[in-house]
Amino acid sequence: MPATAPDPTGFPARHAMRLLALESEQTADGDLRGWLRVAPELRAPSGGPRLAAVAMLVDSLGGARSITAAAPDWALTADLTVHLLPVGEVSELQVDVHVRRRGRRTLVLEMDLTADGATPAGLATSTFAVVPRPAHLEGLDIDRSPGRRAMSAPEPGEAPLRPYLEELGAVEHGPGRVVLELRPEVANRFGALHGGVHTALADEASASLGRSLLGGEAETTDVHLAFLEPARTGPVHAEAALVGDPAPDGSRLTAEVRVIDHEGRLCSYATTEVVAP
Amino acid sequence: MTDAPETRGLFDRQRGMGVSAYLHLPISEVTDGTEPFAVLQAPFDAPPHMVDDEGRTGTGMLAAAADSIGGLACGLACLPDWIVTTNLTVRRASSTLRGPSGTGPLRLDTDVLRRGRSAVVSRTRIRSLDGAEVATTWMTGAVLTPAGGPPPFTRPVRPWTLPHSDDPLLEQPPEVFFGLRAGGAPGVVSLDLADHMRNPWGILHGGGIAVLIDSAARSAAAGGPLGPTPDHVVSDLVVHYLSPARVGPVTATARRLGRRGHDHLVRVSLVDHGADDRPVALSVATVRHTGRRGATVR
Repeated sequence: MPATAPDPTGFPARHAMRLLALESEQTADGDLRGWLRVAPELRAPSGGPRLAAVAMLVDSLGGARSITAAAPDWALTADLTVHLLPVGEVSELQVDVHVRRRGRRTLVLEMDLTADGATPAGLATSTFAVVPRPAHLEGLDIDRSPGRRAMSAPEPGEAPLRPYLEELGAVEHGPGRVVLELRPEVANRFGALHGGVHTALADEASASLGRSLLGGEAETTDVHLAFLEPARTGPVHAEAALVGDPAPDGSRLTAEVRVIDHEGRLCSYATTEVVAP
Repeated sequence: MTDAPETRGLFDRQRGMGVSAYLHLPISEVTDGTEPFAVLQAPFDAPPHMVDDEGRTGTGMLAAAADSIGGLACGLACLPDWIVTTNLTVRRASSTLRGPSGTGPLRLDTDVLRRGRSAVVSRTRIRSLDGAEVATTWMTGAVLTPAGGPPPFTRPVRPWTLPHSDDPLLEQPPEVFFGLRAGGAPGVVSLDLADHMRNPWGILHGGGIAVLIDSAARSAAAGGPLGPTPDHVVSDLVVHYLSPARVGPVTATARRLGRRGHDHLVRVSLVDHGADDRPVALSVATVRHTGRRGATVR
């Protein structure tokens, strides 16, 4: 797959999705497979891909699969769960997207994660609300031709990738608190905060809380996130709070995260698990 | 597992209310009934037959209780329509999985996070009476217009109880109440769809699905048959309800995907054998090996 192919997303050069240079392939049965190259800037302290990057992968692939699965209707992401397994320093993460239910009101996807082609890396699921297709999206479809292709590609000559949360512009404002300006680079096609970035904020706010309370490095290993409202005004705040207390041995904690827009609206709600690697 | 004692009395008179009678959640509304979204609370007694020897309520029963109160909050937010639960998540606090913290009677507090045109989301916090946070759950319901209209709730919701029953089934552990039986391999658990497990719409109650998933996941993680797993607790759970279970038997098949330290990641799928193996639910659970030994868990 040529990495310099024209980017099909229309996103800005350093967009949160585009930076990941995701690739995808339509399988014979209509399902979708995708890949993320796990650059060092996308890794968690333990060496595996950090949840923020994985969430962008599964949100993007799931969104693409929903277009064909929901047709002729449209699908809006309602929730996303991701569970990661420890895989160490791998070079590539693969996701296989499967439709588990297509009902009148909901669409459910399951997404298997595999590292370097063989190692189980986790599991993600997502629910979509099935709605009438908006008129301005009547003609939109995805490329179903055979072969592996770029879903998003960096601009040729772009500066090297920085750590992913730094690229997004997430700034830590105290333990468990992260602030992000709503820029085109973190927005979806409708100008609201991208779903994958919601999850990235939940990851970083949780990890921030973990660094404060677990005494050192911390990483988010899984998330259950409900999308509630589009975040259309920034800056966007993510606030993580403890659920209960950290484990008695200080190895982990459980958190809930609220993502709030500039008008104070609760835009997403998540629970997470954080470990000291 | 042992067979469930014969149902009688209560369940003949209160068809569709068997799980409600078993859970015994006297739900009340904190708000005055005029706000669009009800804030609800309920005590959960955590009676001896529902807890382990430390007094800890299992994750399946926590999910069942959260499904009941969370579903009510979602439904009230949609009147005169109602909802069908599409998914439910539970996450237990890391600090309350062993030892005395988070044991004994519990209190559930529920609010609505969002009510949209097609879906509603509620959150339930579960605490012990000493204030320790035991778990946080959220659930999503899809808005629908039920054929017979919504359940007859009036607001503000006031605690109500079913007529007293001395039915011995109500004093049985969850595995017995739901009639769980082991399959041919670790992680395979089934139930026959008895009347007392059905909700008012005649389908398997969401609580039954949660208990089935909890048992199958622990069995898979422990690598043994259905039964006590004193050192394995489901620490987090997400359930996607795919279609109603109407016929039975319903079988859960749990498969270990991998582990992180003491945590097993487990995938659980449920099918309704009597309905051509129709998929009922898809679940992902984390089962934690807590290191406890020698305890008895019902």
